[in-house]
Amino acid sequence: MTVYESDLPGVGKKHEIDLPDGSQLVVVTHNEGRREVFLRADPDTDSEKLFELPDRLARQVGTILEGAYFQPVKSQDIETLLGGDTLLEWVDVGEDSPIAGQTLGESDLRAETGASVVAIERDDDVISSPGAETTIHAGDRLVVVGTRENCEDFQSRVEGA
Amino acid sequence: MAAGLLELGQVFAVLAVAGAAALRIGLSVIPLYVVSGMLAGPFVAGQVGLPYVSDGELLTVLAEVGIVLLLFFLGLEFSLDRLLAARSRISRAGVVDAAINLPLGIAIGLALGWSIVEALLLGGIVYISSSAIVTKTLIDLGWIANDEADPILGTLVFEDLFIAVYLAVVTSLVLGGADAGLNGLGRSLAIAFGFLGALLIAVQYGTAFFSRVLDVSDTESFVLRILGVVVPIAGVALALGVSEAVAAFFVGMGFSTSGHQERIERLLTPVRDVFAAVFFFWIGVGTDPRLLVGIAIPLVAVVLLTTPAKLVSGYVGGRVYDLSERRSLRVGLGLVPRGEFSLVIAALAAGGSTAVMRETIPALAVGYVLVMSVVGTVLMQRADRVEELIDRLRPGTSA
Repeated sequence: MTVYESDLPGVGKKHEIDLPDGSQLVVVTHNEGRREVFLRADPDTDSEKLFELPDRLARQVGTILEGAYFQPVKSQDIETLLGGDTLLEWVDVGEDSPIAGQTLGESDLRAETGASVVAIERDDDVISSPGAETTIHAGDRLVVVGTRENCEDFQSRVEGA
Repeated sequence: MAAGLLELGQVFAVLAVAGAAALRIGLSVIPLYVVSGMLAGPFVAGQVGLPYVSDGELLTVLAEVGIVLLLFFLGLEFSLDRLLAARSRISRAGVVDAAINLPLGIAIGLALGWSIVEALLLGGIVYISSSAIVTKTLIDLGWIANDEADPILGTLVFEDLFIAVYLAVVTSLVLGGADAGLNGLGRSLAIAFGFLGALLIAVQYGTAFFSRVLDVSDTESFVLRILGVVVPIAGVALALGVSEAVAAFFVGMGFSTSGHQERIERLLTPVRDVFAAVFFFWIGVGTDPRLLVGIAIPLVAVVLLTTPAKLVSGYVGGRVYDLSERRSLRVGLGLVPRGEFSLVIAALAAGGSTAVMRETIPALAVGYVLVMSVVGTVLMQRADRVEELIDRLRPGTSA
């Protein structure tokens, strides 16, 4: 891959990236931060503008393209990074989960995986700081804290893998 | 006091409307600002009995700040390293541009029976393309991502450097030399180059100073410190009969090495644009539309001669950059718009001592910029059709 960088006096910078199919991606970074992205099918044709992004959004999209995590938002599948290597994750308990019907103490999840259940979302209620005697039901959503590895172990135990 | 505030309010209100109209019809703001000044000034609004904006001291000073900031930004953007890195290509394209268009303007001036200094002023007016209009149109049309952007922007950089030297010389000719004889001329040139030389040395060795001036996180202080350096220096320059614009250019160059260039651009661009708008307005206020009628014939001649000349010089410049014929033509089209710097020269001419300098040249420059800013933008937008037309006109091609 070859990237050409050139100055655009009074405008900003231009990067031209050769793509495998012979076309070129052209990124114009304006001095005020806006990015314009163009595609040029071959050197003789005009650049066709694909899209433009403001500075902040461009950085976020860049982070996604790079494969890094950033500003995760709570949702069914997305974990939240608490800092360091600790995650806050949501784990659904399915109908056929081996821990459905057990109390937290019986399931022994914390000792086995290192991840702790800090809350249980059940229908519209939230059971905060559940104790060893709290029973897990099928359909619960467990809010779990632990390292990435702990959380992954936890997830597989709950899924019965 | 109330009258002054009301008048200034009128200026900004009219500019806001003109800016909205420009956005609406997709034209550059510069011609519309100038026309709005003409309409709101003494020659149109004043004639029909409406409240009008007069060409007073307040407006003149604000317009001066506009000139100073325009040139300050040029200096800020101007990089000696960049120029040196691309010197062979930029200077060849730039030299072709200067060698064709400047002498053409001077020749037209002489043919109109003007003096050397007057003809030199016209040369500058027809030579300098508008960085503001050209750059904006390049972005609007997406040409900025194409190969033609390099020679166009490179030529603009060369012109910017050229105008700094040109203004330094011409300002002393107009303000100092014209009626003081050869002796006076020598003295004013000596003062100009002495002052500018001293400033250049200060800029060259003043990086530490400029960095320290700007070492503040507070946005307001940052903006005020820049204005607090550039405006007084420009003022001293003008008081000495030296080009305030060139002084501002050098200060801009000084700040460009301070490591704060991007922050300056981000924070001061709106300030510059506001004052530049007032400058264009002020040019309009000082223009009597009847004078435009009076210079219609030379104006048409100048437009008809200088448009093809820019096309040719731009085309050659594109070929110097190894571009295809089609892209080279675009380089020519891309350099046609004239704007802010032609008007800066016109404002300078208006301070001269002859009737041609005080009336004819400013009126001609205003008419010229109005025509060329619009014609240039339209030519760029219709580049494909221009290309077809040229193909058809050219003998020996299959089209």
